[in-house]
Amino acid sequence: MASAGSGDEKAAAAAMITLISSDNEKFEVTEATATLSQTIRHMIEDGCTDGGVPLPNVTSKILARVIEYCKKHATAAAGEEGSSSSFSDAAFLEVDRAFLEELEEFDDAFLEVDRATLFDLILAANYLDIKGLLNLTCQKVADSVKGKTPEQIREMYNIVNDLTPEEEAEIRRETQWAFE
Amino acid sequence: MPPPPMELIDDVTAEILLRLPPDEPEHLFRAALVCKPWLRVLCDPDFRRRYRAYHGAAPLLGLLHRLQVLQGFPADRFASTTKMPDFPRPGSHGRHPYPLDCRHGRVLIQMRRTVGEMKLVYLVWDPVTGDRRVVPVPHIDSLIETAAVFCAADGCDHLDCHGGPFRVAFMATDDDEEIVKASVYSSETGVWSAPVSLGSDCECYVKHMEDAIRDDVFRIPYVQPRRAAVIGDEIYFTLRQGHAIVKYDRANNCLSMINPPLQSAYGIALMVLDGSSLGFVYTGGSSLYLWSREVSSERTAEWVQCRVIELKTTIPVVDPGQVPLVVGSAEGVGAIFISTDAGLFTIELKSGRVRKVGKPGVYFSVLPYMSFYTPGIVSLCFSVVLNFLYSLVDGSVLCE
Repeated sequence: MASAGSGDEKAAAAAMITLISSDNEKFEVTEATATLSQTIRHMIEDGCTDGGVPLPNVTSKILARVIEYCKKHATAAAGEEGSSSSFSDAAFLEVDRAFLEELEEFDDAFLEVDRATLFDLILAANYLDIKGLLNLTCQKVADSVKGKTPEQIREMYNIVNDLTPEEEAEIRRETQWAFE
Repeated sequence: MPPPPMELIDDVTAEILLRLPPDEPEHLFRAALVCKPWLRVLCDPDFRRRYRAYHGAAPLLGLLHRLQVLQGFPADRFASTTKMPDFPRPGSHGRHPYPLDCRHGRVLIQMRRTVGEMKLVYLVWDPVTGDRRVVPVPHIDSLIETAAVFCAADGCDHLDCHGGPFRVAFMATDDDEEIVKASVYSSETGVWSAPVSLGSDCECYVKHMEDAIRDDVFRIPYVQPRRAAVIGDEIYFTLRQGHAIVKYDRANNCLSMINPPLQSAYGIALMVLDGSSLGFVYTGGSSLYLWSREVSSERTAEWVQCRVIELKTTIPVVDPGQVPLVVGSAEGVGAIFISTDAGLFTIELKSGRVRKVGKPGVYFSVLPYMSFYTPGIVSLCFSVVLNFLYSLVDGSVLCE
């Protein structure tokens, strides 16, 4: 950490973290935003974030989206904490509800991406261990898989069928009901 | 960017497949046919453990029923509530099978020992694995009874207790002595405990019988053929007169009586609330009333009305004058069964979601079957195929 400073600016500057994407782009984010990622939180705790955090599995395009998500959710979390002391219970609940609604809207809009981006976001959320983002993106894919045939799922997500026709026929015979 | 390592893909695939709903098992089975990596993930015992833990409670897969004596015999089938076909009932042709309870992935069925013979046996059947255990009948000359089958494994979360030790509790009105008796069977010792009876040492019961005799209603304490509620070592069931509740305390091996919150309700059900307190649910007019037995700091217990749910706008009826009837509950999933002239419905307490699970008909006490049904445990042949596939992929062992 930086030497003990008196100004707010210094404290804020001290809490900034640099993230470096696989294509070497640098992103400056607050510690509150970065620590939504358990992976980065552990790196900060271990004191190994000086000179930036290289993320060789995440491209700048995806990292920008991930940061967008974390910023919004970190702000929401901070807002909730702040509001609890300065509002009455009823007002707090009202603010809480408004926050949740806004977050839900943000999440819905955030998921309006093509399938390749969605998968890259899942891989990034998994690698960076961001629980909320992983849940959001995986639930989106799970919902899209529901009610689809194996053929439709393969086509949607560009998956190669490596089962032989015999294997497929045998498994299908055992669980025919699932395909009717 | 090079493709991520295989384990990472499997991790992510698992994260996605974990979120497919357990009460619609067809999605997992379809996903198993997408490609070998997906099949491998789905059949991995570790994934199946995570899946159960993620969803927390086994889903409702099907229903069996109990009726009152005068209502006749319920249909002899396991009625699936999912896309899955009914589980085939064990071969029981001509043996008058009669289901008594479903709990912890098991079904308890009473049937004649052989065709034409009057002697009875019990069968504890696991529809998912097909496992069957024969249990002798208890030494109580029963006029009318209820029974409960439940897991007896220490510290079990009941998400996957297939094949483990179990108990069968039998609570009945003794035909000769005209009193309530209870006994419990252990799968480990293979014997029934000596029966205990509800007697004059229970003040509440003495009062109950005095009232019954004074009002000239039932001189015999009739056990209702209604599904019991099991909470730890305690089993709760009801008598016909005033829905009086009887507690079978297995730890102290005794029976005692508790007054219900309301004696005049027509359709009622006992249920387990939050895993640890006794619930009593009934319908009055078009509302559903939920009471909870709360234990105070002085260790005295009392009934507290915890919810009233208006059913008029949520549960369909054909005749607007129809009164919905409570006919059971499903612990874990937190649902209550309600019968109307439009069908049999579940209402989930948490979400308020209503689902039709049966045709209109005569219902008294629903026996809900809850269990996880996922690829990998389903059939021997399926696992043989999967084992073969696994050996091709990475040589690791596939099935538990």
